[in-house]
Amino acid sequence: MKAWNGFKAGKWQENIDVRDFIQNNYHPYTNNGDFLTTATAKTEAVWDRCRKLLIEENAKGVLDIDTEVVCTITSHKPGYIEQQNEVIFGLQTDAPLRRGVIVNGGVRMAEQACEEYGYKLNPQISDIYHNHCTTHNSAVFNVYTDEMRQARKLGVITGLPDAYGRGRIIGDYRRVALYGINRLVEEKHIDLKALAAQPMCESVLRTREELAKQIIALRDMAVMAKSYGFDITRPAETAHEAVQWLYFGYLAGIKEQNGAAMSLGRVSTFLDIYIERDLAAGAIDETAAQELIDQMVIKLRLARHLRTPEYNELFAGDPLWVTEAIGGMGLDGRTLVTKTSFRMLHTLYNLGPAPEPNLTILWSADLPENFKQFCAQVSIDTSAIQYENDDIMRPVYGDDYAIACCVSAMQVGKQMQFFGARANLAKALLMAINGGRDENTGEQVAPALLIPHGDLDYDTVRLNYSKVIAWLAELYVNTMNLIHFMHDKYAYEASQLALHDSKIERLMAFGIAGLSVAADSLSAIRYGKVRAIRNEQGIATGFEVSGEYPCFGNNDERVDSIAHELTEEFIRELRKHQTYRDAVHTLSVLTITSNVMYGKKTGATPDGRPAGEAFAPGANPMHGRDRRGALAAISSITSLCYDNCRDGISYTFSIVPGALGKTRDIRIRNLAAVLDGYAANNGHHININVFDRSILEDAMAHPEEYPQLTIRVSGYAVNFVKLSPNHQREVIKRTFYQVV
Amino acid sequence: MKAYYHSVETFGTVDGRGIRYVLFLSGCTLGCIFCHNPDTWASGDKTITVEEVLKDFTKYRSFYTSSGGGITVSGGEPLLQAEFVAELFKACREQGIHTTLDTSGYCSEQNAALVLPYVDEVLFCLKAATAESYKSLTLADNTKILANLNHFAASTELNIRYVIIPDINNSEEDMIKLAELIKSLPKQVPVDLLPYHSLGREKWDKLGMPYQLSDVPDAELKHINEAKKVLINQGINVLEHHV
Repeated sequence: MKAWNGFKAGKWQENIDVRDFIQNNYHPYTNNGDFLTTATAKTEAVWDRCRKLLIEENAKGVLDIDTEVVCTITSHKPGYIEQQNEVIFGLQTDAPLRRGVIVNGGVRMAEQACEEYGYKLNPQISDIYHNHCTTHNSAVFNVYTDEMRQARKLGVITGLPDAYGRGRIIGDYRRVALYGINRLVEEKHIDLKALAAQPMCESVLRTREELAKQIIALRDMAVMAKSYGFDITRPAETAHEAVQWLYFGYLAGIKEQNGAAMSLGRVSTFLDIYIERDLAAGAIDETAAQELIDQMVIKLRLARHLRTPEYNELFAGDPLWVTEAIGGMGLDGRTLVTKTSFRMLHTLYNLGPAPEPNLTILWSADLPENFKQFCAQVSIDTSAIQYENDDIMRPVYGDDYAIACCVSAMQVGKQMQFFGARANLAKALLMAINGGRDENTGEQVAPALLIPHGDLDYDTVRLNYSKVIAWLAELYVNTMNLIHFMHDKYAYEASQLALHDSKIERLMAFGIAGLSVAADSLSAIRYGKVRAIRNEQGIATGFEVSGEYPCFGNNDERVDSIAHELTEEFIRELRKHQTYRDAVHTLSVLTITSNVMYGKKTGATPDGRPAGEAFAPGANPMHGRDRRGALAAISSITSLCYDNCRDGISYTFSIVPGALGKTRDIRIRNLAAVLDGYAANNGHHININVFDRSILEDAMAHPEEYPQLTIRVSGYAVNFVKLSPNHQREVIKRTFYQVV
Repeated sequence: MKAYYHSVETFGTVDGRGIRYVLFLSGCTLGCIFCHNPDTWASGDKTITVEEVLKDFTKYRSFYTSSGGGITVSGGEPLLQAEFVAELFKACREQGIHTTLDTSGYCSEQNAALVLPYVDEVLFCLKAATAESYKSLTLADNTKILANLNHFAASTELNIRYVIIPDINNSEEDMIKLAELIKSLPKQVPVDLLPYHSLGREKWDKLGMPYQLSDVPDAELKHINEAKKVLINQGINVLEHHV
């Protein structure tokens, strides 16, 4: 077969096994980035047009909405940016940045979003989805218990995917390029037939229906590609086709689903194999290779979903988390870094910094030194990339995993995740102090508990807290089971799951917010003196805190152990409850930008934090409480254990350039050393921001001058000027490590 | 052995090579009018032992090792507690930890001699190029300082640090004097020019001490470059800084 000419044979030819193909055919690269080339004229032209559209979009909120057609894989005729200069094709709708409406998740969200931006959803669409079919959103709300509604409303569990697509599913888009649609359909038919002999019980019927939907989605993908003039029923024969085929696979996913996070996966090294083959044959040169990657990245930068302002309050900055995992090491000890790992990062120079795709370095102590230095340099120049520790993930997930959203690892095409937002640990602590009642409304939420009087006694509060955590964990698991049952039923991700094995492992990703607030509060109660000021209902409205007590972020065992203990207790409690489809319980310490919203909904806490004040993002120490320098803060973070938090532990590190060292070379070396040290100490995730706070202040005042200013917030990157003033202030307030 | 200290910075990148653990000892009698850490002048009541420093250092050692860094003792004036510094550095040497001393040199020659055998690198912060300037910018006579500078320069790796304060100590004449001073040393040493900034101002206010440089602007890149040019013309090696 022409498509596989020159590739080393292996079991990947018999079975769908992209990893085996990669392992047999890739070329590790250990040299530096000197080979990289600048953007071609075509790329410049396309990106220039996009830049103008992006400025317009930023001013208006959305550039345009197609309110007339429900977006599906095949709903729209081909769309182009500047057809004569495009090299990689395909848009979500018929025009760049024109957003489609996707309503399986919930029609109300689509209607509200349209209205917010001055549009009106076609009344026929509203009618059909309100009156003639069930959406995920309406199904969930039909079945929610009173307790679930209450916990959701009061903000104990928030951000649940009950009104929009859950996302966090990574199709193995590489399969489209390597095998072509026909082969993938064939394999699915075999799996479907294998189920024919089974007793037709509920689970078998469900699987058969899902496989049937997957086959339809695969065929739709081919139809969509054909409308652009490409035949993806056969495997890709060139590097150009490989990029294009793979992108069509991804495009189908975002046409069909408005999932919160829609990762790309781990494609660079896969694509490198095709690029190397074409380079060796003289079919393309380096400029053409870079052009393919640049043009694919342009498309990824334009990926959008239609969101409500309410959603944006949680996840600010219009993110899609088109996460691409780069680098890492293979199980055989060879690095998975290739030239295309460099090319992918180089798009940040050729096209300028941007939050998407969410470029994520899988860091290992064993990465080639040249690549480490290059990454550090890119961080210092753009603040647009994040790092995750391959050395702790590889033993769990092998060497062909990718990152969903920000920090969630999963084996590509073999595992999927049920996304579950997060529970508010700080608010749960207040319930422990307030007899199980909500501190804002006085409503009884958790089971009634005795209210501790006088100065807060650690043992009493801690015992109450464990009771609240046990109650919360059970409620949380049940809520998630309900949501994902309905999501599978009414908003099934057919095209993405078609690019998975038919038999997959499922992870159920729980999360927590406010960890450092909860830990510092318990530390204040234990080591300082805390007196609750209670209103006539007996609800603590404020706290008098006196005495010295250790804060999380100073590498002080006394409080760091509290944070560690909370994560351990929470996952232990979660595991006591059975999950839908026997998913494996995982836990994240990640807030994205929802730390602002969670803080807003949470009353004053015993650590002295006033009511309504934002939490620190992810696992970060509270602002200004880490007083012993960056490494002490980092050590507090790394004292949290990845085994308890398999869905990721997010840390955002912000520093002024001068505090990394006196010269550029020294800064690059020092940053690489920080990343090495962080990984060696079993840290999981780290966002790196390198700039002066004054730049952010200036960007807040003059947004028009900073269209591409990209910063990392918990787990993802964002255009700073797209954040709400509230979020911008919160980011500016954060600890920036300075020169003493 | 105990020392009075002000604070610890676990991620020091500007006080010596690589990433460093910086221990700021407290107590200083030099009284520089442009000091940005006047809160380190008094000894205070916080103490730390050599064992505690080493134990804390060890927690971060992988970062310091991989970056080619180590430990820096700064202040305050660390040489006022020279016995402590000597003991700490001696222990560091035994463990293969690179040691840097950040000093003004304002201490007895005996104190300096205690530390000298165990220090790998000295950042010698020269406050002025002449005796007269020393008198106007500090409370000190510079005789001891120069003697110590000569001793250190003779036997250990040393950088001179010089804070550029616009229109106070950055004239061409000042720079030529500085160059002459450097040339008079037992060996040629590089100079690190640091821009004066007024960020310490708030600390003076907090301590209720009048700040004499209220009207002096922060040094800008041009001030540094002007001074650098003169020094380079005089054949002095000036260290590179990026903005």
